[in-house]
Order: sequence, then C-alpha cells, then structure tokens
Amino acid sequence: MTEHQPLRIVIVDDEPLARSLVREYASSDPSLEVVADCANGFEAVKAVSELKPDLVLLDVQMPKLDGFEVLELLGREQAVVFITAYDQYALRAFEVHAVDYLLKPFSADRFQEAMDRARERRRAKSAAPMNVDEIVRDAKPKAGPAERVLIRDGANVHVLPVDKIDYVEAQDDYVAFKSEGKQYLKDQTLSAVEAALDPARFVRIHRSFILNIDRIAKVELYAKDSRIAILRDGTRLPVSRAGYTRLSQLL
Amino acid sequence: MHPILGRPARLLAYLGVWVPLGMLVAALLYLQGVFGWLEATIVALPLVLAYGFLCLSAWYVTGGSPVDRVGAWRNAVTAVIASFVSSAVWLMIARGWLAIVGGVRGWPAITPAFRLAAPTLFGFGFFLYLLAMAASYLAAAFAISQEAEKRGLELQVLAREAELRALRAQIDPHFLFNSLQSISALTTLDAAAARRMCLLLADFLRDTLALGSRERIALSEELALARRFLEVEQVRFGSRLQMTIDAQPGTEKEEVPPLVLQPLVENAVTHGIAHVLEGGVVRIATARQMTWLVLTVDNPCDGDRPAGRGTGLGLRNVRERLESEYGRDARLRTEEADGRFIARIDIPLGS
Repeated sequence: MTEHQPLRIVIVDDEPLARSLVREYASSDPSLEVVADCANGFEAVKAVSELKPDLVLLDVQMPKLDGFEVLELLGREQAVVFITAYDQYALRAFEVHAVDYLLKPFSADRFQEAMDRARERRRAKSAAPMNVDEIVRDAKPKAGPAERVLIRDGANVHVLPVDKIDYVEAQDDYVAFKSEGKQYLKDQTLSAVEAALDPARFVRIHRSFILNIDRIAKVELYAKDSRIAILRDGTRLPVSRAGYTRLSQLL
Repeated sequence: MHPILGRPARLLAYLGVWVPLGMLVAALLYLQGVFGWLEATIVALPLVLAYGFLCLSAWYVTGGSPVDRVGAWRNAVTAVIASFVSSAVWLMIARGWLAIVGGVRGWPAITPAFRLAAPTLFGFGFFLYLLAMAASYLAAAFAISQEAEKRGLELQVLAREAELRALRAQIDPHFLFNSLQSISALTTLDAAAARRMCLLLADFLRDTLALGSRERIALSEELALARRFLEVEQVRFGSRLQMTIDAQPGTEKEEVPPLVLQPLVENAVTHGIAHVLEGGVVRIATARQMTWLVLTVDNPCDGDRPAGRGTGLGLRNVRERLESEYGRDARLRTEEADGRFIARIDIPLGS
C-alpha cells in the first residue's frame, strides 16, 4: 500500500443521517473512498470481511452489536475511528488502540484530522506491522463476566448467550463452544475464555474443557485419580484432579 | 417568649391547676388547727393563686433553656436559692394578706396564727417553686426537641425539592448531541428539514423547562411533550421509530407531576428502539381503571440483551418521584415479555 492510493473506508452507523454526514465529509476529499456504508454491526462484519477496507468509521451505540463488539469480531488490528455522542467511551477506545475518537457533532476539520491520523497509522503499519498478540494482550477485559459470546464465522456473526453454552473445548489453535448440539469455533485461547466467563457458573474441569455447571448430571470415578463428568445430554467429559477440586468447591 | 404567660387559654388552665393546690393548703392549715375551714380557705386560696403567678417567674430563672450537663450543679444551686427566695417573698405576702383579711374580719391573734402557719406555707412554697423550675427545664427541652424535629422536616422538604429540581434538569445531554448531529447532517441534505428539526427541538426544550417548574400539569401536556420528544427522535431514527399515543377520553384532564412519563419514553427509545435492528412502535396509552390513572409505555426491546441493562436510572428516578409525590399510593411496574418492554404507572385519580 502506498500513500497515493485512496484510503478505503467503511461507514458503520445505525442512523441514516449520521451516515450521510460522514459520506458528505468524505466526498470532499478525493483521497478517501467510501466502499460501503452499513446500518448495523452484522453488515459491518460482512462488509469488512469482503472488502478489507483501510479504515472503519464505527458508531458505538448500535443494536445487537455495539462498536466495541464489532471491533472484537474484526480483530483489533483493524483500524477504526469510533464515533459517538458519549465521551465516557474515550478511554476504552484508547485501550483498544482506536485510531481516533469523534464526538458527535463533529466538524469537517475534525473529521479530516481523524483521516490524517488514519493515513499516518497506515504508513506506520506498512513499515512495521503491529504485533497483534500484544494488542490483544493489552486490551483489558471488560468489567464483569461476559453475558454472551460473539463468534465470527467468515462474514457471519453468531451471538451466543452464555447460558446456552454447554461446554467449551480447546481444539488446536481454536476453542469450540458447544451449544444445543452445535459447535462454534473461535480464535481464542481456553484461558482467555475462562477469564471472560463467570467463575460461579463455568469451571475449568480439565486442561481442555470448561464446563457450564448447570449441565452436569453426575460425576463418576473412572480410574484412580481420574473422573468423568456426565452431562444431562449424556456427553462424557474428562475431569482432572485439579478440575475435580475446583468443581467440588463450586457444587 | 413565655410558654404560658403569652397565651390566655394556657394561663387559665395553669391557674385551674392551682385551685386544688390552694384547697390543699387550706386543708393543711385547718388540720393544723390554725384556722377554721372558712378562714383557712379565705387565707390560702388567694395566696396560692398569687403564688401560681410568682412561680411563672421560674421560666426566666431557668433562662428558657434545658438543663445542660456541664452546669447541672449550678442549675441545682440556682433552683434551691430561687425557691428559697421566692418562698420567702411569698411568706411576706402571706403576712400582709393575713393582716388585711384579719383586720377586715376582726380576727384576734394574727401574729401567733402566722407563726403557726409559716412553716407549712414556706415548705409548700419552696417545694412548688422547685417543681416549677423542673417543669420549666422540661418545657424548654421539649420545645427544643420539637424545634429540631421541625427543622428536620423542613430539611427533608428542601432536599426533596432539590431532588425534584435536579430531576427536572435531567435532559439527557446525549439526546441533545445526537439531535445537533442530525441537524448538522440535514443542513446540506435538506435545509428545510434542518430548520424543522431546530424548531422541534426548541419547542421540546422550552416545554420541558416550562412544565418542569410546575407542581402538577394536565396529562395532555405531558403527552404533548412525549410526542415532541418522539418527533425529534424520529428525525434521527427514521422509519425505525414509530409511535402511537392512545389517550382514553377524559384522562387528558387528569393532573400528573410534570415529566413523570418522560423518562419512560426516553428509555423506550434509548434502551428499546435503539437496540432493535428493525425498530418498531413506541406505544403510549392512558386509561382509567377504577380509582387509578394508568399510564403505560410499551416498546420493542432486544430480548437477547440482559434485562434492565442501563434502564435503571430513569426507572429509579420515576419511582422516587412517585414516592415523594404520592407515598405508597402510586407505583411503577415493568415487565418484559415477547420482545416488548412495558412500563406502567398507576396514580390515584383526582390527587
């Protein structure tokens, strides 16, 4: 990517007027190219997956998926500028390494400033790619346990309420969320999942398994120091000694 | 001010208490054999009533204040001295009175009779003056505690008023910023619409301020405000936000506290419509049900989202508002069912 190429942007806002305003500001700058505008987070994930824009202008308050959740699904290396009327999100935007943060209502000059920063970021990035792991590690977990898990499946997004999760299994570089007979893969570590879920409802029973304690039917001794958890649907999962200790503390 | 002297009714009741005391002294003198029944009464009753007046001075001796812990000893000494002095003064008056009555009725041996009666009179006077001092201290303490209670109540009322003012001032700033953003977008897209939006917003703000400064407003005014608010938000949300306002005939004239519905309507948009992809209808309805005025705001909501997220402040404000206006007679209930959130206010009719 060079500086002469236009900055390809995707506009995401659930309010039509807000989208037209950004479009209007962008149209006055020939080095900007609006490749899509999206009315919600699902459309945004789809558009960004397909179009690979340089920058996403992302409203924070949106139905179903808010701006921060969209960014989580896109991966934090995606350059975004957050747009919102609420200044209390500024700190969080900074934590997730947003390029900039625009407070509604904003002027054309302020918008241009944000675009300049995005170009700056693109130049720096092509020179030295950012370390994604580091960014992900930097991002602090949100306050309180997760209420739902967001899973991106190509251009589609699944929103999985945590009480629908039966158990989570580590699979190579992914974790698999098992829910109602289906399986959803997410690019995450099992430890990160464990940290995000409510420790009063989910317990790490094994190196490779986190179990929703509501799903347990019984725990049986399998061999010396080795047990098996039998779920209500008949699924059998291994329970390690440390896992059994944790489980007994909860039950 | 003196708690008894200044009020004739109290003074009369107070002196009424002294009449039996006068009879008591008369009886004592009679039993002592100093006087016959009639003489004893003629001597004692006016004297005791006069002493009743004298005892009113106890209030001034105590300085109209209750006993303070530090000066309790000094208070006791003061009481004893004051009782001694007043009783002595009274004894002199008694001597004079005896001379007058005795002179008029031609009693013999006035001085020996006085000598006989003096210890009884002095003891009585001393004891009663002490009682009067104690009563003064008590009355002062009682007055102070009442004053404190009154001040407490006044403070409560003030706090409540401040709270109300704060609530009234609670126009969500994000609503303003978002509206300004819409206007900013409309200025180039559709100048006439931008102007309409400015006027709508101005009307809404003006109404909010004007209505908020009143104690009670007609329900029709509250509904008009809700309609304005929703019209402003419609500019922002476009076709995602629709509304119906269904007021049962007759209910519009009922009086309600200003802006009691408004937080519910705001919640319906910011926590309801704004979280539903396809949007929907905000339904406001009013009805009479027996002795209640029932107001409901019903809106679509995102069933997947944890219930009550973020709606707490507005609901709590409305609840506190209703409680401060109606005590336990009004209530706010909410329920979530089939993807709709329903908030319902019950207010007693005609209050």
